Amino acid sequence: MTAALRFPMRHAGALAVGALLVTILIFPAISDNRYYQTIIILSLLLAIMASGWNIISGFAGYVSLGQTVFLGIGAYTTAILSLRVFGADTFGGDAANPFYFVPISAVVAGLFAGAIGPIIMRTRGHSFVILTIAFLFVMQLIVLNWTELTYGNRGISLPLPTWPREWGNLPFYYIFFGLLLISVAMSWWIRRTKFGMGLIAIREDEDKAAAVGVNTPVYKMLAYVASAIWIGAAGGVYAYYLSFIDPRNMFDIVYSVFVVLAVLLGGRGTIWGPVIGAFILEPVNQITNNNFNDWVPGGIWDANVRLIFFGTVLVLVVLCLPRGIIPSIGDIVKRRREGGKATEVGARFERKPMRVVERAAEEAAEAPAGPILEVRSAEKRFGGVKAVDGVNLSVERGTITALIGPNGSGKTTLFNLIDGTMPLDRGEIWFDGERIDRIAPYRRAYRGIGRTFQITRLFRRMTVLENVVAPLRSFSWLRLGADAVSGPEAERAYELLEFVGMHRFAEREAGELSFGQGKLVELAQILMLDPKLIMLDEPAGGINPTLIAHMEEMVRELNRQGTSFLIVEHNMPLVLGLCDPVCVLARGRTICEGSPAQVQADPAVLDAYLGEDFALEEKAGVT
Amino acid sequence: MTQLIQTIVLGLLLGGVYALLASGLTLIFGVMDVINVAQGALIILAAFMTWAMWSETGLDPLLGVLVVTPAMFLIGFGIYMATVRWIQGKPPSTSVILTFGLALVIEGVMGMVWTATLHRSTPSYFDESFRIGDIYLRKGQVYGCAIAVGVLAILYVILRVTWLGRAIRAVSANMSSARLVGVNPSTVAALTFAVGVATAGAGGSIASVLYPFLPASHYQWISRLLGIIVLGGMGSLPGAIVGALLLGVAETMTQIYISPQWATMVPWAVILIVLLVRPQGLMGQKLREDVAL
Repeated sequence: MTAALRFPMRHAGALAVGALLVTILIFPAISDNRYYQTIIILSLLLAIMASGWNIISGFAGYVSLGQTVFLGIGAYTTAILSLRVFGADTFGGDAANPFYFVPISAVVAGLFAGAIGPIIMRTRGHSFVILTIAFLFVMQLIVLNWTELTYGNRGISLPLPTWPREWGNLPFYYIFFGLLLISVAMSWWIRRTKFGMGLIAIREDEDKAAAVGVNTPVYKMLAYVASAIWIGAAGGVYAYYLSFIDPRNMFDIVYSVFVVLAVLLGGRGTIWGPVIGAFILEPVNQITNNNFNDWVPGGIWDANVRLIFFGTVLVLVVLCLPRGIIPSIGDIVKRRREGGKATEVGARFERKPMRVVERAAEEAAEAPAGPILEVRSAEKRFGGVKAVDGVNLSVERGTITALIGPNGSGKTTLFNLIDGTMPLDRGEIWFDGERIDRIAPYRRAYRGIGRTFQITRLFRRMTVLENVVAPLRSFSWLRLGADAVSGPEAERAYELLEFVGMHRFAEREAGELSFGQGKLVELAQILMLDPKLIMLDEPAGGINPTLIAHMEEMVRELNRQGTSFLIVEHNMPLVLGLCDPVCVLARGRTICEGSPAQVQADPAVLDAYLGEDFALEEKAGVT
Repeated sequence: MTQLIQTIVLGLLLGGVYALLASGLTLIFGVMDVINVAQGALIILAAFMTWAMWSETGLDPLLGVLVVTPAMFLIGFGIYMATVRWIQGKPPSTSVILTFGLALVIEGVMGMVWTATLHRSTPSYFDESFRIGDIYLRKGQVYGCAIAVGVLAILYVILRVTWLGRAIRAVSANMSSARLVGVNPSTVAALTFAVGVATAGAGGSIASVLYPFLPASHYQWISRLLGIIVLGGMGSLPGAIVGALLLGVAETMTQIYISPQWATMVPWAVILIVLLVRPQGLMGQKLREDVAL
């Protein structure tokens, strides 16, 4: 999707929500219908919940079915504080005004998220979803059973509002409104920063994100906190609004699912979708609740019919509108507009020489002695299989070292151990004079290891340019808030795309690229890290001969500028022409290491990998 | 001491029934990577069907297994064809959300038909007990466990001996290779889902004698089942059996020695601890794919 195409859609969503918000703002001036006010208040609450959920589940891709836990925590924090801790006489009257404690609710919810987030987000997929449900129920049971603090099943009654009667619920109305504005503004801000782009990268491919320097644990923790705080605040206000809370209604799994449904309706991962979804779903909920008894013969619109109705809607949305209303409309518009346009897929590409990056060149000049990478007796097992069984390998500075061996000999596993995608069972890995096998993958990226994958792994729903800008060379709290794609970085990224010959695709979505194009973009992506060592996993696998030649040329050029290489490749002519030394792996062990000529002559290599035929062919070619 | 033995035996008897119920869930997960959150609601549905037959015709609820199991097989097949089939290959969370929707629908339907009040099948032997020494065992529980073990044995034979069983094991080990050797994964998935729901049918009939139930009880059941398969290792049938026995004992122990209120917490606590400490469970395998993909 090009930027030009994306803007109008974004404006459509923003426009719809803008109009909605203005309507809500002035509605009380137009009408004092209490019934509609109630509907709007509940829709605002659902919208706050939905945009919070959207940060952790829409942006970062960690689907939670327990988001109401933060509503409950917020509600109970405010209720308990106003009644029991700062009870009588603190602020005058029987109980303290609950509004004082709403900020504390936000903080408590945020702290809770910050504490459990890093623990539960070590799991992914099914396990994470189940854990979120489990946490919701555990909290509900704790609140239910800890009667000294929470009154358990009996619930807590809060004081009635003290403001003039004719204001009605308007203070609640506008506080919810304000919380929604803050919440949406925060989502919008997150989405356009480095932090937001990192979250999207985590959603698309978490291990890859870590491999290009995204500090995934911190990102996920912050996202979880961000998704919790405004919900916590809303919980405090909600408790006061209801003036009675109990564990079952405050920690309600069905409401959690309702939140998910709202976001799925509006569009997951978008900024406006959750708001739109909430303002569709909650009014439908309220209107059917209150009016269907008159419409349905026999007046049977009760809790059961509601369950059936919303269960069915949820099933239908998952099956028919998995991406939500806004993104689905976006797709249709996009298809219309691009219908007749020729794509650039398959266009001839040209590349430009790259400006030498100063850091790389300087450091290459004054590098300390010793190999850039050293693997010492590395071991890795999967169940009973020893995939890597005591490998020793070193990559000397400035070399292009090849790692070859039959399928299943442990080459890719070794790569995964070096870049930290998998933990090492035994052994040591040293990089640039430092031991790195115990540090996180993103820290290894900071040290200067860049790695491509056998099957390219780009962030498919980000543009090519965004993909190249995504890598980070260091972590800083301040940089999290920087613009996702900004001046010098964007320039550098464009330059790298020119170097690999993919600059004309800069604005396309990475998912639209062919396999070979993906490999080129992935190379540009890791070059953004200014790596000292580049590890290529089958750079020539599955791409055409012209592209292989280009790939070879680029590797040589980068190598001339001081970058070392470790290359896994099955294309023997390429390996023997480009690399020196060559290291041969078989059954998880190094069986030979030496110059191309030595390796070709080694009987163990011929036996394990190249085969007798290879030697014969070579001889035939020579003579 | 007697009380301790009594508690453990009771836990094991319950565990036998739990094992049957969890086997369906873990089987479905193993073959198609779907966590069927509606399994709890389907158990309650089977319990209601059993209860209705017993109160209308006087058919013994434990014999009701023979009628309810095939009926639930058909319902499972229908649910798969209408919904679950379409989300194969989607992200894992999709299946949880979809089947949660199904659970809500089933809960609503049960509420409409049977109202949200407590029900229980109470055949004549319901409050009679066997006495061995100082230990009393309710007949319902003993018969229920025996039937559950019988059904599990049949399931085991199906998986080991029949073509369907081999196909199920093949698909659950490696779907694309199974396709290559002529197994149609979607047929297998449909049959697996139906078999998985059928076990909920058999187990639900038994459960209608063991516990009072109402439509919303399905949350309690799904929490137990999730606790069991997480503990045993998701997708592992032997793991589900071991997990069920352990959870049955843990639950009765908590009930007797701590308090009934905290017993509902046991499955959730098990889930939290296991997923955080040993995510692959007791007997699940940690595969290469879990580590990096």
